Amino acid sequence: MAQNRLRSKRLRLDNYLKTLTPNVYFQPPASIMMSYPAIRYRRSSIDANFADNLPYQATAVYELIVIDRDPDSDIVEELSKQPKTIHVRHYTSDNLNHDVFRTYV
Amino acid sequence: MSKIVWDALGEHFYETGVDHGVYYGYDSTQNAFNNGVPWNGITAVTESPSGAEPSPIYADNIKYLNLISAEDYAATIEALTYPDEFKISDGKADIATGVVIGQQTRKIFGFSYRTLIGSDTEAAGTAGYVIHLIYNCTASPSEKSHNTVNENPEGATMSWSISTTPVDVEGYKPTATVEIDSRTTPAAKLAQLEAILYGSVSSDPRLPFPAEIATLVGAA
Repeated sequence: MAQNRLRSKRLRLDNYLKTLTPNVYFQPPASIMMSYPAIRYRRSSIDANFADNLPYQATAVYELIVIDRDPDSDIVEELSKQPKTIHVRHYTSDNLNHDVFRTYV
Repeated sequence: MSKIVWDALGEHFYETGVDHGVYYGYDSTQNAFNNGVPWNGITAVTESPSGAEPSPIYADNIKYLNLISAEDYAATIEALTYPDEFKISDGKADIATGVVIGQQTRKIFGFSYRTLIGSDTEAAGTAGYVIHLIYNCTASPSEKSHNTVNENPEGATMSWSISTTPVDVEGYKPTATVEIDSRTTPAAKLAQLEAILYGSVSSDPRLPFPAEIATLVGAA
């Protein structure tokens, strides 16, 4: 069976995120108790460029949420500098700062 | 006697898509388009025929004649990439391994691609397809835009304007284009033609001229 490139790209992203904080959660269940600062992420879509009547180049899009008590989070600072990554919005909930990013891998 | 029926079941045909792009280099020693290679990443082929312009001539106070000018065929190929073999047709030359220079003589080439036929009862490609052949193409320089990688990565689409010189067809006016419709071409003949165009275990891909295609497929 061919290598699952979606998984290998996602694991590369996962490894990178773990360099920012050990508390990285991929599509966690609602019942999980998270430690902070944390990055929660999920795949939101797969964008495709079409050619030859086929999806010629596909890019997975992930939504990352940095959850940190620090409003000037170092993780947010670092993620803001990453290529193919854009900050979408910031909000606070339960006295925790949430910064939402979208990244293409 | 029969009455016209519009939009009968299974006859709601439409044409869509573009795939199976093939570049054929011109072999001047054999005067043939040989060495077909796949052209991956084709996103669009836009045909732009011109000419056939009417020139009315008036005499005796009436429109006496309507002269029609000759037709010309041009097209634009858009793709995300191009085969290495196309470089000599795009005015490029290798002066060392991996070192390419531009603004060189542009070599003519042949090109083929396929569009899909769908209908109300058959999916696109299942109802049939049309193979388009273009002869004696010359690619013109075109704008290429290189943009920064941003949060929404996309491959750069390249495009080439193609002008053509028609080839002779006995009994007809010269032409630069041939279309082969899988719905009407005998299946066995079509398979033989595709083996010529796309290659087989015993032969390399090449672009046959219209006369050879007509002989192979048989009388219209």
